[in-house]
Amino acid sequence: MSRYKNIMGNFLGIDVGSITTKMVVIDESHKLLAGLYLRNNGRPLETIQQGLAILASRLGDDQAIDGVATTGSARHLAAYLVGADLIKNEITAHSVAVIDLFPKTKTIFEIGGQDSKVILLREGVVVDFAMNTVCAAGTGSFLDQQAARLGISIEEFGRLALEAKHPVRVAGRCTVFAETDMIHKQQIGHSVEDIIGGLCDSLVKNYLNNVCRGKELLPPYVFQGGVAANQGIRKALERELETPMLIPEHFGLMGALGAAKLVKRAKPGRSRFKGFGLSKRSCTTRGFECNECGNQCEVVELLVDEQVVACWGDLCERYRRSYP
Amino acid sequence: MKVTFPHLGTMHIFCKAIAEASGIPYIVPPETSRKTLTLGVQHSNECICLPFKIILGNFIEALRMGADTIVMVGSGPPCRLGLYDLVQKVILEDMGLHYRWLTIPPRLTWQALWKNYEETKELKKELSWKNILLFPYGLRLGWKKMMACETLEKLAMRIRPREIQKGETQRRLKKALSMVDEAKTLRTLDQALERGKRLLQGTEQDVSRVPFKIAMVGELYTVMDPHINRGVEQKLGELGAEVTRSSWFSTHILRSLRRNKADQASERVRFFEASRAYLGYDVGAECNVSIGEAIVRAQEGFDGVVHLMPFACMPETTASGILTRVGKDWNIPILTLILDEQEIEGRIQTLLEAFVEMLQWKRKAG
Repeated sequence: MSRYKNIMGNFLGIDVGSITTKMVVIDESHKLLAGLYLRNNGRPLETIQQGLAILASRLGDDQAIDGVATTGSARHLAAYLVGADLIKNEITAHSVAVIDLFPKTKTIFEIGGQDSKVILLREGVVVDFAMNTVCAAGTGSFLDQQAARLGISIEEFGRLALEAKHPVRVAGRCTVFAETDMIHKQQIGHSVEDIIGGLCDSLVKNYLNNVCRGKELLPPYVFQGGVAANQGIRKALERELETPMLIPEHFGLMGALGAAKLVKRAKPGRSRFKGFGLSKRSCTTRGFECNECGNQCEVVELLVDEQVVACWGDLCERYRRSYP
Repeated sequence: MKVTFPHLGTMHIFCKAIAEASGIPYIVPPETSRKTLTLGVQHSNECICLPFKIILGNFIEALRMGADTIVMVGSGPPCRLGLYDLVQKVILEDMGLHYRWLTIPPRLTWQALWKNYEETKELKKELSWKNILLFPYGLRLGWKKMMACETLEKLAMRIRPREIQKGETQRRLKKALSMVDEAKTLRTLDQALERGKRLLQGTEQDVSRVPFKIAMVGELYTVMDPHINRGVEQKLGELGAEVTRSSWFSTHILRSLRRNKADQASERVRFFEASRAYLGYDVGAECNVSIGEAIVRAQEGFDGVVHLMPFACMPETTASGILTRVGKDWNIPILTLILDEQEIEGRIQTLLEAFVEMLQWKRKAG
């Protein structure tokens, strides 16, 4: 552990998504020193603290961190909590991670818990992207939910999809319709494998038709995000596009990795990181509804050791502040 | 009699001016808030679009505050927006709210004038001679206020990407607009506008920046109202883009008055003509203009186009499909944002940030 102590330049990337939190620490040469993938269970603050504790135990408490970047849909919350030097949207973070790893990539498919994105790259530059906006059909959380309904683990879910002999047709446009369809198929006697296989096919078709609509999808394709672990979805994508997918070794950590790389590039003079000790302090949030105007903003305060360290959620910025 | 009108961008400022200057009592609905949206959602069909729900919410709040006469712009099919006034009337009546309705015709036709005459027959009885005599002055003041608001908003769009302190332009714009709002006469309005302009120009700026040029196109309510689009215009500006849009009140009013000679109206004709390469037919509402404007902006060397539409909006869904082709053919990045009642502000921020960053990469790559 003490091996790393004197090496200058370690960077932490934190990606707080809707379902999971990902953290990586890289060194000056972009080597991955530690990486972890945790479920939020609806409590991102606790999960970040837990993640910091695990990193500290792996790398040593006194591990110096020279820069922290946050990304993902809770990037602002995470940034206020840990003291980030850079806050980056997940589309850029994902692209950066892929470009470094597979510079020739032309298309990135990223399917996470609530988001699905497609990013088009040409000669190492993002030229177009799309993300689901109003509908989360076909993302990880729906697959999770269906696995739970069938009483199988999400890992098993992907394996079972591959065993489908005659995948059934499932409406994939909306998760509510998809579930109705699946239950119907189950009640008339189709096997679980065929239903799961059918669901994977329809989700992929939905993703390609909606999120990727009108986009010029060219290989090499990189498939990443939590759902890349799902063999069934991966095979369905490969079948639809008739091309194998490149799956990065750390397919679930790509956003965090990209964030870490970006903060390394930005080279903050002195990191605002509050240290791994944060995991031992009490971190809570407190919300209230402001009644100063008709908008009734839901204001959120972040408290560390009972002290307000940041406040946001107010449209008029009456309360907004962040203490370094 | 107490008139009310929906919130839409700065519309309440000039509607209020018309009523106030003519001595007609009015109620400005409370600023569009979560409560407005909740009311609108609760009382409308689930499948209807976001602008409808928000405007309905505005009316419910205003009527509950004591307004009894609603002034609303009508337009006409094929877009559902054109039938807003008719459907909203039915909903409000079902809710047991009492009011009178005054539709401002979208096109000056005999039929519209007759409808208007019928609607105003009752109202006229309540208006005094003073109200009627002052009305032309009110209209003039309202028109000038509308133009003043547009001038200030356009100025803010230019300054925002250059501001040093993020958010300062927006704070100053708010103050400047309220100065225009407070002006009571034509003379004080001129002064207020001048003071407002100076206030905005006083924003500390970095003039060496070369902002990206982005055009906002799409369904007009979504483009014009920051509550409906969650402040896309401001967000893009603060990310370093100089935003342009062709949808303004003056554009749409001049269009309906068929003042085609005005620059703005002829601009729309140009957009419409440009869309012919992709559409041989007028789809209705803003569809053709959205497509045509994207093409014209690409020709003018803009860096990108942001296309706004409410979820399930028919004309703009058509436009969004064609815009992907336009983006490819004209090599201009186009981002379509679909807005609905969900809290998707974070998601919009993510998409806009990524969009502007993409433009940065593109610029760097030459």
